[in-house]
Formats: sequence, structure tokens, C-alpha cells
Amino acid sequence: MDTPMFFEEKEEFLEALRRMVREGVPKERIRTITPFAVPEVDEVLPRPRSRVRLFALIGAGTGTATGFAFTILTSLEWGIIVGGKPVVSLPPFLIIAFALTILFGSLSTFLGFLLLSRLPSIRSIRAKQVYGNRFVILVEKGT
Amino acid sequence: MAAAEKYARADEGILKAMDKPGRAYLAGLGLTASLAVIGGLLWAYQIKNGLGVAGYTHPISWAIYITNFVFWVGIAHSGTLISAVLFLFQARYRTSFNRPAEAMTVFALMVAGLFPLIHLGRSWVFYYLIPYPTQREIWVNFRSPLIWDVFAVGTYFTVSAVFFYVGMIPDLAIARRCRDGIRKKIYSVLSLGWNGTQREWKHYNMLYLFLASFATPLVASVHSVVSWDFAMSLLPGWHTTIFAPYFVAGAIFSGTAMVITLVVPMRKALNLYDYITDDHFESIAKILLLTSLIVSYAYIIEFGLAWYGGNVFETELFRYRALGHYKIFFWIMIACNSVIPLTLLAKKLRRNIPFLLIVSLFVNVGMWLERFVIIVSSLARDYDPYAWNALIYRPTFVEAGITLGAFGMFFMLYLIFLKTLPVLSISEIKEHM
Repeated sequence: MDTPMFFEEKEEFLEALRRMVREGVPKERIRTITPFAVPEVDEVLPRPRSRVRLFALIGAGTGTATGFAFTILTSLEWGIIVGGKPVVSLPPFLIIAFALTILFGSLSTFLGFLLLSRLPSIRSIRAKQVYGNRFVILVEKGT
Repeated sequence: MAAAEKYARADEGILKAMDKPGRAYLAGLGLTASLAVIGGLLWAYQIKNGLGVAGYTHPISWAIYITNFVFWVGIAHSGTLISAVLFLFQARYRTSFNRPAEAMTVFALMVAGLFPLIHLGRSWVFYYLIPYPTQREIWVNFRSPLIWDVFAVGTYFTVSAVFFYVGMIPDLAIARRCRDGIRKKIYSVLSLGWNGTQREWKHYNMLYLFLASFATPLVASVHSVVSWDFAMSLLPGWHTTIFAPYFVAGAIFSGTAMVITLVVPMRKALNLYDYITDDHFESIAKILLLTSLIVSYAYIIEFGLAWYGGNVFETELFRYRALGHYKIFFWIMIACNSVIPLTLLAKKLRRNIPFLLIVSLFVNVGMWLERFVIIVSSLARDYDPYAWNALIYRPTFVEAGITLGAFGMFFMLYLIFLKTLPVLSISEIKEHM
């Protein structure tokens, strides 16, 4: 890894990033660190869309299926009529399925974020060096 | 001023709140903690002696504890509205309120969750509500609104806690950099080793968007489910289809008032005038005004339905609500929730922060009373006319003490939050600088 380049201003940092790309530095070798989200970085260095959304979809789908399966199967296990309502009463079961859709979807999205961002990172937790409020460009050495 | 200097000032200005506490803070913490302990002791007294120490009288078997439950779940709603819904609408002023509002949501739900247990005669068997395989081979009744509550409130608490924590990750990394000793170590672990790389930000932004999208329907669904605890019964005053939207509007109304109640003193005590401006308060005051109008509309509709429906019990209940034993609470509720907030139609008053704080306090009182009026007056006028005037419900010192204890617990948790976690979203504030 080359020595990191530090910038105090966002515009300065973005200009240097654009110049670097113009000069032909391979985009996949450039890494950036910013004190807050800078959407322009993704325009200069396009990366594939975050797969976190897949975790959201799978989690939410699993939640819906679990909600319906759980309520229906447990009701069938003891098929007693309560309050004159059918043993399998879908409208109330929908409420449980809805809650579990949100619950599983949220937790799975959070898990997806941790996996894809490789967090928690023991190395980073123990690292002494932090970049603070500066904008940083790092270029990985080519092989 | 150079950007780096501005960012450093934001770090310092916001994290300064976490400095060593002063006497006023410690006095506040001592007072709120004492109230919470007294509330806890009274609950222990109630467990030992049974629910007879509460003021329940037939037919009023739901009273202040359920009032408190609905009140605190309602308070939580505004936090989600501000953090999730306003995020999706890209309302910039949310950055001034989202962290305190999210903290408020989590703490309000912690308090709310205790009340169904306090209300149970045998609190120690609360786990009967949770579906688990038992030796009796019988499961919970999923057709019961009380079980819906367990799922709705449980989900709401979990999602709110995750949302609260996720929003803080970049700020915990800042706290880690600006603190030393044991605190640095704690913030290092809590920040998960966040660096702010492009990859982290990309996944983080997607996560935040999805959590906001998941949390948004909860704003409508959770209090709807709470309202169905009442609406699914056949009691006059409860059994009505407008309850879900009526409760949701009321929840946002009371929660917004509580955000104002918490943030106005916080801004002054922590000197956060650069980040929470009068413009921001004006925007939040508009939400308060709008939801007040919706709630007032619901009050009118309720009376309209009773009158137009022609059911004698329903008509009698609404006459009783306005003119019966509990009429004082009804009229205070109308004054606090429907009349006083109308002053916010004046721009000058919306921007008058001490006035806004006073209005928010009235709304807090009014919304607590609203739940009391709905619960107690409806039960007092059910389908058994022989019981109508037999006994008037009066809360006992146990109920009053536990209620005060809940307020103590909520404010104690909030005070602890102020000294331990970043009180505003620093990275979002920097983004908009």
C-alpha cells in the first residue's frame, strides 16, 4: 500500500480522486476513507450495488413464511375453536406474519451489513491509527 | 472557517455533552433514580399483597397501568417518525432531533413493556404470553389482541434498538477518537472498528435506508395493534373502527410533544444552539399542530358516530364522558390537546421556544388523560347499568407511585444517555455543513 494522501477539504479530495482516475490509476486499487458519507465517491469509483438489499429480501420473506407457518401449524396442533373463529384464522395470523416480516427483515439486513462490511473488525478495534476528520486516498500496490 | 476546523468544532461541541457531569445533572439523576426505585418498591409491595392494593373496582378492571402502557408506547412513535419517516422524506431538520428521538423511543418502550406485567395479577408468569412448546402441548391464542401486542411491541423494541445503535456507529468511532482510557476502549468495541471506508459507507447507507423502510410501517402498525386491544372488544367507546388511525395520530402527537419537552432543555443545558435552531423547532411545531388537528377531528368523529349510530349505550357513554364523573379529565384533555395547540397557528408562537415547551407539557398531560378517559370512562359505563354509579374509580398511592416511578425511570435513562452516548448525529451534521 502506498503512503496515504490526506485532504482537509472535501472538494480538494474529490478533485484529487478524479485526477487520479483520469491519469489511469486502476479504480479497483483506489481506497478512500471519509469522515461522513460522500456520495460523489461512488460516482468517481463505481462499485457494484450493495448486496445488503438481498439480505433484506431474504429476511423479510423468511419472516412472512415463519409468521404464517408458526401460527397455522401451532393452531392445527390443538384444533380447538376459540371465540367461534376458524382454527386457521388468516386475518389475525397476518398481524403476526407482518410483525415477523419486519423483525426478521431488519435483523437480517443488519447481519448482512456486518458480513459485507467485515465488521466487527478486531484489527480496526485495536488499531492505534485513525484518520479523524481528514479525507484519505490509499492506492494499493499493483502486483 | 476551514472545513477541518468546522468538523473538529462539531466533534468537540457535541461530545462536550459527555464531559464530567455538574451538580444540576447529578441532582436530576438522583431525583429520577429515586422515583424509579420508589416505583419498583411499590411494584414489589403490589406483588406481595396482590392487585387489591390497586384501585380497581368492578367494572373498572383496566385503569392507570394500561393508561401508562398506551401512553408510553405512544411516546415511542414520534421517535420512529422523526428518524425513519422524515429520513425517507429527506427532511433535513431531522438531524437535529433524530438521536434524542430514537433514544426516547427505546426508553419509552422499555417503560411501556413493564406495564402489562405490572397490570398482571401474577407478574411472574408473564412468559405465558410468549409462544413456546410446553408440556401441556398447548400454544398461545394467536387470535387474541394481547398476543398481537407481544409481537408488535417486541418487534418495535428490537427494530428501534437496532436502528438507534446503527445510527450511532460512525459517531461512536468519533467518540473513540476523542476520548481516552477505559472510555476509549468501550467506544472502540461499540464502534465495531468503523473506519469510514467507501465499502463501509456503501453498505451502511443501504442498511440505513432499509431499516428506515422497515421501521416506517411500524409507525402505523404498532399503535394500531395497541388500539385493537380495545377496539376488538364490544364495549361502548372502544368498539369502533376509527381507533387505529385515531391512536396512531395521538401517538405521533404525544411523542412529538415529548421530543420538544426533552430537546428544549437539552439544547440549553448542553449549549447546542448551533445544531438545533429555532427553524428546526418551528418545523417540529408544525407536526405537533397537524397531529393536534387530526386528534381533535377524531374526538368530533367519535361523538358523531355515537349520535348518528343511535345505539343507546354508545350515546349514553359519550354523554357520560363529557358530563359524568370523569368530566373534569375530559375537559382538561380537550383544552390541552385541541385548544392550546391551536396557538401554534401563529408563526411567532411556533418560534417562541419557551412557549413551545409549555405547550408540549400541556400536550403530555392531555394525552395521558386521553388514554385515562378512553379506558376508565368506557369501562364505567358498560352494558351493566346496575354497576354504573356503584363505585367511582380512584387511583391508590400504589398506582400513583408506580406511575411516577415510570416517569422517573424514563428520565433517568434519558439523563444517562446524555452523558454516555453522542447526543446528536455528528456525521450527518457534518454531511450538511
